[in-house]
Parts: sequence; structure tokens; C-alpha cells
Amino acid sequence: MRFFELVPPGTQIDFIGRWRLWALVSVAVIGVSLAAIPLRGVRLGIDFAGGTEMLVRFTGGIASDEGAVRGVLSACGIPEPNVIRYGEAQAEFLVRFGALDDPERVAAAAERGECPISPERRAALEAALAAQGATDPKGAVVDRLAAAMESAIGPLAIERVDFVGPKVGADLRRDGIYSVVIACLLILVYVGFRFSPRYAPGAVVALVHDVAITAGIFVIFGLEFDLRVLAALLAILGYSLNDTIVVYDRIRENLALHTKYDLAEVLNRSVNETLSRTLLTGTTTLFALLALLLLGGEVVWPFATAMTIGILVGTYSSIYIAAPTLLWLERRRGGAAQPARAEGGRGRRARA
Amino acid sequence: VTRLRLRAASVAAVVLVFAWLAAANFVPAQTRRASPFLPDAGLRLGLDLQGGIHWVLGVQLDEAVAHELDYVRAGIQTAADDGDFGVERVAVEGERVAAEAKSADDLARLREWADERGGLDVLAEAGTRLELGLSAAWAAEVRERGMEQVLEVLRRRIDDPVTGIPESVVTRQGEDRILVEIPGGQIERSRAREMLRVTGFLEFKIVQDHDQTQELLLARHGGAVPEGMELAFEREKETNRVLQAYLLGEKADVTGDFLTDARVQFDRQNRPTVGFTFNADGGRIFGKLTGESIGKQLAIVLDDRVYSAPVIRSQITMHGQIEGRFTPQEAADLAVVLRAGSLPVPVAIEEERLVGPTLGADSINRGFWASMLALASTLLFAIGYYRLSGIYASIALVANILMLLGVMSLFEATLTMPGVAGVALTVGMAIDANVIIFERIREELRAGKTARAAIHTGFNRAFWTIMDSNLTTLITALVLYEYGTGPIKGFAVSLSIGIVTSVAAALLITRLLFDLYPGDRPVESLSI
Repeated sequence: MRFFELVPPGTQIDFIGRWRLWALVSVAVIGVSLAAIPLRGVRLGIDFAGGTEMLVRFTGGIASDEGAVRGVLSACGIPEPNVIRYGEAQAEFLVRFGALDDPERVAAAAERGECPISPERRAALEAALAAQGATDPKGAVVDRLAAAMESAIGPLAIERVDFVGPKVGADLRRDGIYSVVIACLLILVYVGFRFSPRYAPGAVVALVHDVAITAGIFVIFGLEFDLRVLAALLAILGYSLNDTIVVYDRIRENLALHTKYDLAEVLNRSVNETLSRTLLTGTTTLFALLALLLLGGEVVWPFATAMTIGILVGTYSSIYIAAPTLLWLERRRGGAAQPARAEGGRGRRARA
Repeated sequence: VTRLRLRAASVAAVVLVFAWLAAANFVPAQTRRASPFLPDAGLRLGLDLQGGIHWVLGVQLDEAVAHELDYVRAGIQTAADDGDFGVERVAVEGERVAAEAKSADDLARLREWADERGGLDVLAEAGTRLELGLSAAWAAEVRERGMEQVLEVLRRRIDDPVTGIPESVVTRQGEDRILVEIPGGQIERSRAREMLRVTGFLEFKIVQDHDQTQELLLARHGGAVPEGMELAFEREKETNRVLQAYLLGEKADVTGDFLTDARVQFDRQNRPTVGFTFNADGGRIFGKLTGESIGKQLAIVLDDRVYSAPVIRSQITMHGQIEGRFTPQEAADLAVVLRAGSLPVPVAIEEERLVGPTLGADSINRGFWASMLALASTLLFAIGYYRLSGIYASIALVANILMLLGVMSLFEATLTMPGVAGVALTVGMAIDANVIIFERIREELRAGKTARAAIHTGFNRAFWTIMDSNLTTLITALVLYEYGTGPIKGFAVSLSIGIVTSVAAALLITRLLFDLYPGDRPVESLSI
């Protein structure tokens, strides 16, 4: 019988033999990302750092550039406006600012007439703001800036406004860290329960490895962390574990089958046997992510980017990291002669 | 064979039901509800897809506590004025009320008064000075009550059946936060913001004097505001220009607390006005006031701003009208605010997510095509790699997507953009269970098993691997649901349901297809 095969049967690539090399590669990447934290700084999106982000689209088809938008914002009392231009028509601008004293500064700039709001617009705006009272100082900033850009550049539509206050930002940061830690703990418990407790540390090493490297690449390239990236990191946790468990499942089965083989040999055999599945699933998942990267647009971009990196790293770790970690842990325990046996009854039952 | 047919029929029936639930989402909700053949349940679109406003409001409960402290201070002052005890001085100092009694005897009586009043702790006592604070239980109660009142008022303003916003949601979040979700492009941001005004504090005051500007007015009173009075202005709405300056009594003669109803009415020139109705008490007080003041002007003051100051021509008791050059919309908004009453405690926007309707529509479009591309490439890959079995996997995958959308529709889950990403990701990952099974079957075939035995063993051996790997992903999805907010929760929802349906699809549907063909037939080779 002939199959269309990505990995021919009987493939015996020595993944385990050079485990020290691969471990070194991983440790090096993690080291570089750690070093990058003080050097490049961790860029937090407004979800975690707090601040305001507005997406405006100039509807009049007026050719404007970041410089013009930035100029208007600076004149209105935003010290270091962050402006990114994108969209098919190149008429969309993502504007971001974050300081807490914005409301007063912007109000003062408008008062002094530095903010280029046309006089008739200004009177109406100030009246409307006065009528609303002081419930929403940030909203007043958004209104004033929109009016200024409209007066100075051309008609626009506010597509999106995100504002995260400092308290909510702190809460989201805390919840984000909790969620990753809790997910790791629950997984540890599950793996410990379903497999031998000896497998659990290996699985968690692989998980932490994947999340650390994905996050590290974000730091190295100066990409921004926000809630979407956090969601991706958690999804990576799930995916990476999924991958690791398939390998461990095979290890457990092979250990029960081949009692007289050396542990390293059994591990290598298991990784090879599951290799085609690891690569196939990784490939189809990457298809989906590429589709999101290509067509998903600005909203899903951070998510899809983090996820893509995570899937690549996760696939690598399932092959080069998960099984060797098991070997390393067993050897450290001095149990090389008596490798980890399946304690869930199934492994034994398979050949009973 | 009949059992197999029964199985096939029931699986097909289940998939069709979910497909029908999923497909119904393409029909508008009204049509769906009107039709007896279509399900009422359907996916809800998250605010990021349909556009709308998401707010997390922080309720400034410390203000409620401060208010209560001031109330205690006023209580001590009143009791002292009534001669219950003598105090030199009583004031709120931070989180405590400090009172200086006239003598030790007065202090003892003040303590007694505090004990009787309840909810107060003596924080310090020195000489004739007594410092009181709210007891922990009472402070908690004050905060809780403040929170409930704010919720109540916001619900009345935003959920108001007449002028409120359909399908908007006001929910409590934790101790001092309120989540407000206002869907669609139905409301402008500035209008929505007005719903949060502390506002709706309506007062009626007899006009003591008025003039066109503050200077002209004050010139008649020696250049300063006379004792016991205050300045208030009527302004032009569009420009904020002062139209008229008024001198009013500091204390309101009647307040909006007595209002039972407020609604939009039209005057003789068909201009919108806001008509209001007092309860019996309010009517009596208002009747007395207007009866005594015929010929004078009555200022209608909302949140320190004069709306109009009509001359009282006759006694008014229960019903009155506010004229203020309103647009119909403004009159309607004002009516809601008056009806709902004022916010007892101020709120601040701590988080805002606003999405315009165009961006939302654009996201839906993008999400749809990204999912389609993900589906198409995965199907092509599966069929190219596994041939007939790949077709089986594809059927299972399509059924899986239908079930996923069907289940989400059934539970009226909210679909968000990250949720759409979750669906696309499910497309890519769902094939995993099939890959595990197929790879296993191939191994068994290589080991020399017959097609039938290989299929059997393949499914059995793959079962726990699939369960283990998917349960762990489910764990992370559930954690994400627990800790995620807004759109991210949507990702957790589609991911978790997707995990369940993809396992079901692989284990039930793919298995069924293999049982249908080759089933028990002694095939030479298996297309896998």
C-alpha cells in the first residue's frame, strides 16, 4: 500500500542525541529575550499600560500624511503623539496618546487657540462639552482632537476609540499574569493526574519554553503586548501542550512495549513516530493563521502574529525539547536504568 | 447494517439541525422571529463587530462615604441646635467627624447620641473632643447602597423603554464597577456620555433679580452676590453665550425629588417641551410656592443651569412644563434624566471601547473571508494528502464548523472578532484529531493489518490521545474565559465549543464514514 507521505515510515532522525545543542539554542533565545527586556523595554499596548487610542478615517479622500496629523495633535497639547497610517486607501490613522494630564493640557491649548479648531466648530464644541459636565475628561480630549483634525485636514469619521484608565490597566495586567499562571498550574495537575507525575514537569518546561520564546520574540522585535497577544499566548499554551501530549502519549505506549530498550532510544522513536502528525497539524494550523494574517486586518493582526510564532516554536519544542526534558529529568533523578513508566493503567493494558 | 443506517441517519439529523441553526443567522432577526420555520435563537454580534460602546464605569463610592459623614455631621449639628448637647464645633476631617463638646457632660450625651444613632465607631476621645467614624459594617452598607442606587438610575436612564437604548446592557462588575454596553451606531458618543451625568438634579427657585449680564446684575447689588443668594445663568445652547444672569436663593424651593413623571410635550407653537408631574407632597409644596409668588418669575434649574424662568401666572400644583428651546431629541433626553433622577454618586469612565459601524462591518467581512480561506486550504491539503480519507476528514470538518456555529447560535453566544479568529483557528486545529487517527491507521496498515483491523485499532488507540490533548486545550480556553474581558471572552467561547465539536466530529462522523465504506467489506487497499 502506498501513501502520500511527508515523513516516510521508519524515519529515525536522531533528535535526542543532540539534545544538549537544542537545549542550548532554546536557552540562548530565552537569554537574548531576557537581555532585550532592559535594552529594548517591553512595549505594552494601551490595554495594559493605559491610554487612549483612536482610529480615524479621513472621508474626503484628502491626501494627508502622518506628519500633518502629528502636527495637529502636538499643537493641541499632546506632547508625543504616536501616529500610524494604514488601510487600503491610506486614509486611516491610528493615533495614540497616554498621559494623565492630557485633558487639562488639551483644554488649555484649545483655550489659547493653538489647537486649530475652526471658530464656529469651537463654540459649538465648548458648549456641548460644558453641557455634559466633567464626567468624561478623556472624551473631551477625543472630541477636541477630532474637531481639530477635521478643521485642519478634512472631514473624518472616528472608527474606533479605545480608552483604558490606569486602574483598569493595572487590573488587566494582573489578570493577565494570573491567567497564564493558573493555566500552567491546571495543566500541571491534569498531566500529573493523567500521566505519571514525572511527566508533568517536562510538559510544563515545554509550555514555559514556548510562551517565553514567543513573548521574547515580541520583545526583541519591539512588538506590542495587548489583550489579543495575551489571548494568543494562552492559546499557544493549549496548542503546545496538545502537541507535547501526543508525543508523551506515544512515549508512554512505547515504554510499555519496549521494556528492554534504552530510554533515549524509546524517546527518539516516539518523536519520530509522531513526527508526521506534529508537522501536519502544525501546517494546517499555520494555513489558518496565514489566512488571518492576510485577510484578517488590523484587529486580528497582533493575535495572528503571536499565534504564528507560537505554533512554530511549539512545533519545534514538541520535537526537540519536550522529550529530551523528560530524559534529562530522569537522568538527574538517577533513574536511567528504570525509566518513567506509565502509571495510568492504559499503557500496560495495551500489551497485557 | 440496520444499526449502521440508524447511526448514519441520526448523525446526519444532528448535523442538519445544527446546520439549520447556523444558516438561520443569515436571515435577519425580525424575519426569523416572524417565521414559524426558523429558530429564534441566533448568534449575537459583539460590539466590535456590530459597532457600539463598551464602558467600564468606576463608581466613586468614596464620595458616598464622604456624603454619609457629612450627614452625620449635620445630624450632630441639628441635635446640638435642638439643645440635646452643646458643641463648640463639629466638622468632617478626612474619614472622621470631629466634634468639640462644650463640657464633659455634653461629651457624654454626644456619645450617647452616637450610640443610639448606630453605625458609628468612636475613633478617639480626648478631653472634650470626640472623633467618630463609620463602623466597618455601616461603611460597607453605605457603599453597597450607593452602588445599588447608581445601578438603578443608570438602568432607568439607559434601559428606559421609551427613550432608552434597545439591547443595551447595564451590569454590575465586582465591588465598584459597572459595565455598560450600548450596541450599534444608534447613539452618538456625546449623547451616550450625557447619560452618565451626575445630573438630573432639578430645582425650582423664585427669581430674586435678573439682567442680561452678570456685571449689570451685580452692579445693582453693590458688585457682589448678596448673602443667601447665588448666581445662575441661562445660556444659548449652541454657543454657550450667556443670555440672562439670575440671582436666585441658595436653597431650592422645590426639588426634582418629588417628580413622578416627565415626558416630552409640545407647546402651542409645536415646540418640544418637557412636561412633568409631581407626587402629592411635591404638588402641595409647589402649589404653596406658586400660589404665594404669582407675578414673580420661577427659575427652572437643572444641574445649576437655568433652562427657563417663566412668570407664574396662576397657582400650579401637580403638573408643570419646562421650556428651553429644545430639539425633540434634547427634550426626550431631558425627560429620561428627570424621570430616572440624579446619580447619587458620581461615576467615571475607566475603560471605553468604541467601534463605529463601518469598522464592525469591515471586520465581519474580513473574518468571513479569512475563515473561508483557512477552510479551503485545509480541505485541499487534507484531500491531497489523505485522498478518500481526506474527503472523510473534510466532511467531518465542514460538519464541525456547522456544529460549532449551530451550538453558538443555540446558546445565543456572542461572536466577536477574536471569536472569528477562534473559528478560523479551529478550522486549522480541528483536523488534528483526524490526522492522529489517520497516522495511526497508516501505522497499523504498515504493520500488516487488514484495512478493517487497522481502522478499528487506529480509532481505539487514537481515542485517548485525542481526549488528552484536547482536554488540556479546553483547560486553557476555560481559564481564558474566566479572565478574559469583552471580545477576548468571545475567543474563549468559540475555542472551547470548537474543541468539543471537533472531537465529536472526528470520533463520530469520520468513524461513521469509515463504517459506511469500507465497513466490513474486505477491501484490498485503503485510500488513506
